[in-house]
Order: sequence, then C-alpha cells, then structure tokens
Amino acid sequence: MTQDRASDIAPSTRLYERIRLDSLTGLLPLVLLLSVWQLIGDPESPFFPAPSSWWPALFTLGQGDKIIPAILDTVRTFGLGLLGATILGVALGLSIGVSRTFGRAVGPTFEFARALPPAAIVPVATLLLGFDETMKIVVVVLAALWPILLNTSSGVQELNPVLLDTARSLRLSTTRTLFGVLLPSVMPAIVLGVRVATPIALVITLLVEYLTAVNGVGALVGEAQRTFQPARVYALIAIAGLLSLVVNSGVRFVENAVQRRRVGDQ
Amino acid sequence: MGRNEGLNRRNPSNPLGVLVLVAIAGIWEVLVRFSIADVQFLPAPSEIAAAAQGEIFGGELVGRLIHTVGVTALGWGIASVIGVGLGLLLGLSPTAYRYSMTSFEVTRAIPPITFVPAALLIFGFSLKMELVLVIYGGIWPVLINTIGGVRSIAPELRDVGTMLRLSTPETIRKIVLPAAMPSVVVGLRLGLSLCLVLAVVAEMVGNPEGLGNGLIRARQALQPALMFVYVIAAGLLGVALNAGLRATARAFLPGNALKDVSAS
Repeated sequence: MTQDRASDIAPSTRLYERIRLDSLTGLLPLVLLLSVWQLIGDPESPFFPAPSSWWPALFTLGQGDKIIPAILDTVRTFGLGLLGATILGVALGLSIGVSRTFGRAVGPTFEFARALPPAAIVPVATLLLGFDETMKIVVVVLAALWPILLNTSSGVQELNPVLLDTARSLRLSTTRTLFGVLLPSVMPAIVLGVRVATPIALVITLLVEYLTAVNGVGALVGEAQRTFQPARVYALIAIAGLLSLVVNSGVRFVENAVQRRRVGDQ
Repeated sequence: MGRNEGLNRRNPSNPLGVLVLVAIAGIWEVLVRFSIADVQFLPAPSEIAAAAQGEIFGGELVGRLIHTVGVTALGWGIASVIGVGLGLLLGLSPTAYRYSMTSFEVTRAIPPITFVPAALLIFGFSLKMELVLVIYGGIWPVLINTIGGVRSIAPELRDVGTMLRLSTPETIRKIVLPAAMPSVVVGLRLGLSLCLVLAVVAEMVGNPEGLGNGLIRARQALQPALMFVYVIAAGLLGVALNAGLRATARAFLPGNALKDVSAS
C-alpha cells in the first residue's frame, strides 16, 4: 500500500545522491516563488499571508512557548513509534523468514492489516484506547511496521542456506545463532526497511496529532487552522518540513555508516 | 524468494492462513460475547457483519464508496498526467533539472498531511479542497519515479533515437517512455494508494462526503460496529484499486514493465 519495498524507492535514492552536486541552483524556483509571494502577498490575507508574517505568527498571543514542547512531543511519539515498529517488525520478519509455516499462517491476516489506511485506524484507536500517547504510538507502529517486516523476512529468505547450516553444524545455541549469525547477516535489509519506515512514521505521527489534537506539531497546525491563523499554519508547515528533512537525512547518515562498517568488515 | 514478493504471493490458495484469519475472528467473537475481554466499544465480528449488511443494502455505504472512488480516480488521473509530464521535462532536460530539482526535493519533504489545514483554510469544506489535496499528494511519487526512470535510461538507447533521426515527440513516445515505464508504473501505484489515503483524510476533516466522513459519523454516533465496517471498506478499496491497476498494467504493457509490476 505505502512505500514498502526496496525497488519502490531505488530511483529516488539515486536521485538524491546526484542532487548534492547541483543543489543550490536548484533552489531558484522556490526562492523566486517565495519572493513573489512576499512582494504581492498581503500579511493579513486569510489565504496566502506573506512569508515574512509566518515567523512572527508563531509567537503572537503568547503562543511562543508552545512550539518547542510540541516539537519534542512529535519527536518522542515518532521515535518511540519507530522503535516499536522496528522491534516488532524485526521479530515478526525473522519468524516469517525462518519458518515458512508461520509465514503462511499469518500471511492473509497481515496482508489485510497492511491494507488498512492509517487514517482510518485513528478513529478506532481513539475509541478503544482513548486520546493519549499510547494510542498515538500504537497507530504509528501499525503503519510503520510493514516495510521493516517485509524487508527483514525477505532478507532472511535470501540468505545463503549454508550460513544457517554452518551454525547448526557448529552446534551454536539458538541465542547465538540469532544474535551471532542471523541478525548481523540481515542487518542491511533491516536498515533499509527502517529507512523506508522513517518518513512513514513521521507522517503518521503528524496525522494522528492533527486528527486527534493530542499534543505535538500536528495538533498545533490543527489548532491554528480552526482559529483561522493562516500565517501560523504556514509557519508550522515549514517546521514540519524542516523536521522531515532533518529526520530523513539523519536516517540516511545512519544507513551509510552501517554500510561503511560492513564494507570495512569484509 | 525475491525481495519483491509479498508475504506469500506465489501460492494464492493458503488454507492455513485463511484458517488463522477465521480463528482470530472466532476467538474475538467469543471474547466479546462472553465479556472475557472487557474492552469498551469493541464490537464482535458478528455485529460488524450485521452492520455491514445493513449499511450495504439500506445505508449509505455504496454512495460513499462511489464518491471516494471517484475523487481518488479523478485526482490520481490528473496527478499522473502532471507528474509524468513534469517528470519527462526534468528527466530529459539537464538545465531544467539543475535549476529546479532541489526546490522539488525540499517541497516534497513537507508531509502532504500538513497541507490539509492550509487547504481547508483556502478552499473551505468542499469537494475542491479534497480534490486539490489528492492531486497534490499524488503528483510526488509519479514525478520522482518518472525522473528516476528517464535519467537511468542507457545513453546508447537515446543515441539510437538520434541515429534514426526521430523527432523529440517520437523519441519520447518510442524510446523514453517505454524504457522508463517500469519505474513510472511503480510511481503510479504508489501515487494511487497515497491518493486514496489523502481522499479519506480530506473526507474525515474537510469534505463531508465519502468513506472518511462515514467513518467519522459512525465514530461520533458511537456506533463502533458501523465504524469497523467503514475501516474494512477503506482497506478493501485499497486492495481492489491496487489489484485493478496491476491487472491493467499487465494487460497493456509489454515485456519488462510487466514483470516488475506483477512482482510488486
């Protein structure tokens, strides 16, 4: 349903690597757009307030001290959600990869669960769990779980069978096979899954916050919209964009570090 | 077992898996019926089935479904045309790429979800708001995958076009598009599911129609069974749209595009 597999994101990744070379000239249209907007935009416009009015709008009416806690809330929900999705996704992915029977048993159930749009899960989650942090994290986990699970399970299935046979003939314990052989060899697949899951987790965090008005940047955007503060809405959109840029480059940095270490190992 | 496979695509008939699904529903039913799991507002599967029957034959489900499908399809169609067109331009022209790509990357980083409040302020609670949002979100995957597909075409292939003295439109139609098609189709598929998600979100908070609104209505009326009906309908719709697109691509696209689509 969502961006789940390696093949789906491959072109954009290649793209990203090329952009760095000619990145600054590429900002031209955006700068132009914002400049024109600034020149002809009325700061009081109910639809398109000039960009210069965005930043001050964050601090009007004593709302300035809400921003940092909201960002921290969003980051925490996102982080815990991604962590939960990673643990659950890796555990389930390993089980499915190792045991075909288990994979076949849970297959249809998971396919169905994966197809549910996260936005549609939100009302159900609020009804069953209430409006709190747990509910937010559960929704994020349910949405971000799938790329990690799928990449882990196919990572295990693609392993050379000799690897596990060797572990067996060395009579390694299950724990040692798991942590010494299995996990290190599927690590690249897991990291790839986590990278795909990261933007999903952030988007879903913002979505849940917006829909339920429970803390975070998403809730602030919703509040600004309901109280008709367009400049504030745009300012918060910009903050969400920055957050997303930071998070995505952070994950890419970690992924590169993991890959470099593996190359160094060999 | 390729990475592009789903959980178990190769064997469509999977009695064990279906059995597990049925067992889960059965246990859920028993737990709720005998109040073993005392979760407030959790309807039993039988109640959901009854609510589904009522909503399909006497209620609003079909009308809402048609609305959501219509907006998703229309928005996705428009988004795809814009995305492929812009993607061809940026993929083929190094100048256009150099002087705009970063802007697109920066804009793309902003989650489309956060534009929902802005769209609400600008367009109000209307169909226009829903459609604009669906189009905006749907453009990105198509655009990015078209650019990626076009830029990774082997230079030799384009040289063939030059050698045959094909005009630019001919080159695009006969060489560039077919070669980039597998990547474009991936973008189209991702775009379609994103369009559906955005349509449902827009209906939940803005345009008071469609599946999303049905979901919110059921939530507000404290009818959990009905709410589950809409959740399941939205999920099934996603599966159906995706399957439909895959079947269409398989029927109309030759060779290697087909392989890529059916695998994912």
